[in-house]
Amino acid sequence: MYKKNKVLSWILTIVMLLIGLLCIYPFIFMLSSSFKVSGDVLQKPFQIIPNPVTFENIKGLFHSDYYNFPKWYVNTVMMTGITIIIKLFLITFTAYGFSKVRFKGRDAIFLVLLAAMMIPADIMILPRYMIFKNLKLLNSMWAIIIPSCVDVYFVFLLRQAFISVPESISEAAKIDGCNHFTIYWRIITPLAKPSIATMVLFSFVWTWNDYMSPYLYISDINKQMLSVGIKLFSAGQVQDYGSQMAAATLVLLPIIFVFLFCQRFFIENATSSGVKG
Amino acid sequence: MAKPRNRMHFKENITGYAFITPYLLLFIVFTGIPFICSILFSFTNLTYISKLDNLKLVGLANYIKMFQSPEVMAALGRTFLYSIVYVPVIMVLGFALAMIVNKGIHCKGAIRGMVFLPYVSNMVAVAVIFKIILGPSGPFYQILQFLGVENPPLPLLSDKLALPAVALIAVWKGVGLNMITYLGALQNVPAELDEAAQIDGANKWQRIKNVVIPMISPTTFFLIISSIITSLQNFTVIQSLTEGGPGQSTTVMALSIVRTAFVQNNTGFASAQAMIVFLIVMIITLIQWRGQKKWVNY
Repeated sequence: MYKKNKVLSWILTIVMLLIGLLCIYPFIFMLSSSFKVSGDVLQKPFQIIPNPVTFENIKGLFHSDYYNFPKWYVNTVMMTGITIIIKLFLITFTAYGFSKVRFKGRDAIFLVLLAAMMIPADIMILPRYMIFKNLKLLNSMWAIIIPSCVDVYFVFLLRQAFISVPESISEAAKIDGCNHFTIYWRIITPLAKPSIATMVLFSFVWTWNDYMSPYLYISDINKQMLSVGIKLFSAGQVQDYGSQMAAATLVLLPIIFVFLFCQRFFIENATSSGVKG
Repeated sequence: MAKPRNRMHFKENITGYAFITPYLLLFIVFTGIPFICSILFSFTNLTYISKLDNLKLVGLANYIKMFQSPEVMAALGRTFLYSIVYVPVIMVLGFALAMIVNKGIHCKGAIRGMVFLPYVSNMVAVAVIFKIILGPSGPFYQILQFLGVENPPLPLLSDKLALPAVALIAVWKGVGLNMITYLGALQNVPAELDEAAQIDGANKWQRIKNVVIPMISPTTFFLIISSIITSLQNFTVIQSLTEGGPGQSTTVMALSIVRTAFVQNNTGFASAQAMIVFLIVMIITLIQWRGQKKWVNY
């Protein structure tokens, strides 16, 4: 019986490894192809190690006359960075208000926010477009940053985390003469670091990957983000598979990198935080 | 002693609002007002270029026009078709993978990571890869040819296959999350229950059917609802893979809304379409709230 189990578990492991490989096959294909001469990308049979290895595809991205990849990269890094920094302050601040300060109307307002979480973002694109236009925010990264920052989801998540910090800690700090701001900054925020890290990681991924906002709100090609940029690029370089794959590698690399290092963290918190998709 | 306490309450109230006001203002301007506007727009003849003085309330005209428009109805049908492929496949696959991983396999961490990686990846970049893999003489074509299929199909370029292909790529991208969520639920099934059933002589399938599935029904219910909602918000997946084509074969509601608004400049009509999607999501959410009590065994 024991031996049978052992054999079974190895068989299942192999099956799952194959499924896992199938899941990451597109990434392997991409990585390998980005170092291949375009004519070799579809060679039969598929070879993981390119022969010959070429760096022209990647160099080409940085020296293209028409596609300003470096600019898109800088835009996306800036936009993602600013989003995360704003969220770090704004969302923790708000969540503190909703969890640790007792004021009139708090729960009623929070209930409204919770209800708003059900509104699909898709239905707000038109009015948002008009508001951005009137506020002269169209064609700027703020049209992407702001919708991401008003997302209720992380207020909800951090409020939960803050509530789980025992009230007695705040009480003790109050007796020692701390005001709410000091408690927020010095006590509650440091204690909720794991939840805040979850917010940062998932915000990074979602903001970096956001396609709809830049697609709709940004029309100036020099202010564009990578998600839209890579689509323009691949449409313009139809036959140049090597360059397309190099571009995809460039877009995916930061995400894959962060994921590899924080994999445990992503997976353990996915259930509580990633579900909104 | 009433006065100092009142003052304290007052101060607490002020502090509270100080904490939430910045967010609340942004929320009202960029979510609250847009939401109300999108409802109002759907009852007007608003076009993108029209000046506001031409604005007229048209009652339900946009809605009537929508239900009479074969294009919009076809898009609605495709949206359902997409969900009908996406939801069952991702549910079954997510559950099956979680069951296997939970069975005590080796390299658990690595396998979880591999299945989860597509979930965090950039859909547009992934679409560029898939277009080559599934494209003319791409690896998919080569494999089918190798297996002896004559004239292998090109899924993304075929009228009939494009929609299911896109839905399956979405499954590939999202299944890791379902698996992880199920894994969490499976780990909470008490081992004693399973053992008890085993002692009572239940075989493997009976145990899965009568012990495991009922025990994790809250998770299943939650995942079904969230998968349906995810499947309705499929703009990025489809726009990046097929842009609604070939022909109109993958033009779902999300694409129809954006096109009506930004290409045909018919904002009122687009808003009415958006409202229908919103109503569907609302109904599903309400079912979730009510159903949790009725259908789920804890």
